[in-house]
Amino acid sequence: MKNTTSSNVQLGMFVMIGFVLLLGTLYLIGSNQNLFDQTFEVKATFHNVNGLMKGNNVRFSGIDVGTIKKVEIVSDTTVKVTMVIKNDVHSFIKKGSIATVGTDGLMGNKLVNISNPSSGSGETVEEGDMLASTKPVETDAMLRTLDLTNQNLFQITTDLKRVTQKLNNSNSLWSLLLDTSVAQNVKHSIASIRATTKNTTAFTNDLNFLIQDMKNGKGVAGILLRDTASTIRLQKSIQQLQQVTNRALEVTSDIKAVTEKMKTGKGATGVLLSDTAFAKDLKRTMKNIEIASDRFNENMEAMKHNFLFRGYFKKQEKELKKAREDSMAMTFKKIK
Amino acid sequence: MKTPSYLQQFFEETGDISRFAARFFKEGFKPRYEFGELVRQAFFIGYKSLPLVGITAFIMGLVLTIQSRPTLVEFGAESWLPGMVSVSLVREIAPMITALIAAGKIGSSIGAELGSMKVTEQIDAMEVSGTNPFKFLVVTRILAATLMLPILSLWSNAIALYGAYLGANIKGIVSWSLYWSQVFQAISYSDFIPSLIKTFFFGFAIGVIGCYKGYNSKKGTEGVGNSANSAVVVSSLTIFVIDLIAVQITDLLGLT
Repeated sequence: MKNTTSSNVQLGMFVMIGFVLLLGTLYLIGSNQNLFDQTFEVKATFHNVNGLMKGNNVRFSGIDVGTIKKVEIVSDTTVKVTMVIKNDVHSFIKKGSIATVGTDGLMGNKLVNISNPSSGSGETVEEGDMLASTKPVETDAMLRTLDLTNQNLFQITTDLKRVTQKLNNSNSLWSLLLDTSVAQNVKHSIASIRATTKNTTAFTNDLNFLIQDMKNGKGVAGILLRDTASTIRLQKSIQQLQQVTNRALEVTSDIKAVTEKMKTGKGATGVLLSDTAFAKDLKRTMKNIEIASDRFNENMEAMKHNFLFRGYFKKQEKELKKAREDSMAMTFKKIK
Repeated sequence: MKTPSYLQQFFEETGDISRFAARFFKEGFKPRYEFGELVRQAFFIGYKSLPLVGITAFIMGLVLTIQSRPTLVEFGAESWLPGMVSVSLVREIAPMITALIAAGKIGSSIGAELGSMKVTEQIDAMEVSGTNPFKFLVVTRILAATLMLPILSLWSNAIALYGAYLGANIKGIVSWSLYWSQVFQAISYSDFIPSLIKTFFFGFAIGVIGCYKGYNSKKGTEGVGNSANSAVVVSSLTIFVIDLIAVQITDLLGLT
């Protein structure tokens, strides 16, 4: 009897644990499908759901918050998806939220992603509301683009490889890169450039002031630029200058003509200048004249002492003396 | 044209087993019920089979995980290991292993026990003493097997999943809570319920065939051995046939 009781207890435990396992499994599976949570429904229409099925997950901000309840065709271009979402996240989903069909990983199950609009504010979604949807990213299209990208990338890397090979083979570049003096020079150059720039800045400032002054009509240039009256005068001056220049030009051309003539030996001056024989004669003549004038001087001196002319000369001397005295007297008078 | 004798025998036996099963339903639902004997049989069939079923399930879970890992690693889908292994275990491996172990252990013991009773004419004596032997011996055993197999299967599910957890942690690292959340993420009612219903039929098949073989045992020691042997063979084969039918039905119902 005792044996039977203990075996009954063992059997009871065995069966009870079996039932607990059954209920536990049923509950855990059910809670994973949101069967025991308080839920609400929202809907969204898509053009293409990419194989989304009943029971797929619904994610909000990357968290599983619900499951797909129903996928049905409404019209030839519209598929309506009904989602069951936990009440816990009800307050976070707004009316302007957007539903997108996505994939869990690259090849995983399909799912619906709900994301809030970027503006962030808005009314909370209500039971049975229709959410906006965006076109899902199709893996095929993505792969097609990726293929193109890969091709481009291949070309780019090939070019890059060629460039690096060239760089590797060129010793001059490496020596340039490794040479420290180059860097030193570059540093110096940069310092110089900096100094230059500073100077330039100062210069520009000065120039600026100058221009400012000129604008305001200060200085010669300013007057020139700003004073209209002087401008007119200047214009006149320039015109006159032009005329003068023209005249000068004429004169010069005349002179030129004369000189030409002189050079060629035409006319008196030409003869004077170009005939050497005449020059010799002239020299001799001049000498003769000099001698003659000396003699004449002697004659004149002799004449002074001659009695015939002595009276005249004395008289002249007296007049000169008198004029001098008069002028002196005049000066005294004025001083007084 | 004369039907070949072995084919005739096969159909004859199938017919007999069907009649036997029909008789189980006819007698089983009529009072009076042999509760004490039912509990005793349940204890032997259920509780006493647990260690064997548990060890087998544990090893199956562990081995399946270790075997699946390299393939999944090749695809870079190592993180799917718990999900994939748990679906295989719950849908197919745990119920089948349980049923086959039970067919070996329970089927043979029922066949041998009833066979020796039949040979030693205890069944006839029982009938003379006013006890309904079918009710007392057959109905209780079939019922116990039918009810205990699902519970054994639940146990083996749990133990196999624990084995798979250990298997997943031999080479990789999956935390306890992550493992279970991945498992329950992967398993759905459509995986679990059909496999649970299936085990009722497995249990019923084991009980019916074991009892039939024992109840109709031929005279002599050889007959007892034969009935024990054929009880195991036929019930194992029947389990596979039921599994085949079950998978077709679940597929038709769209519970994949």
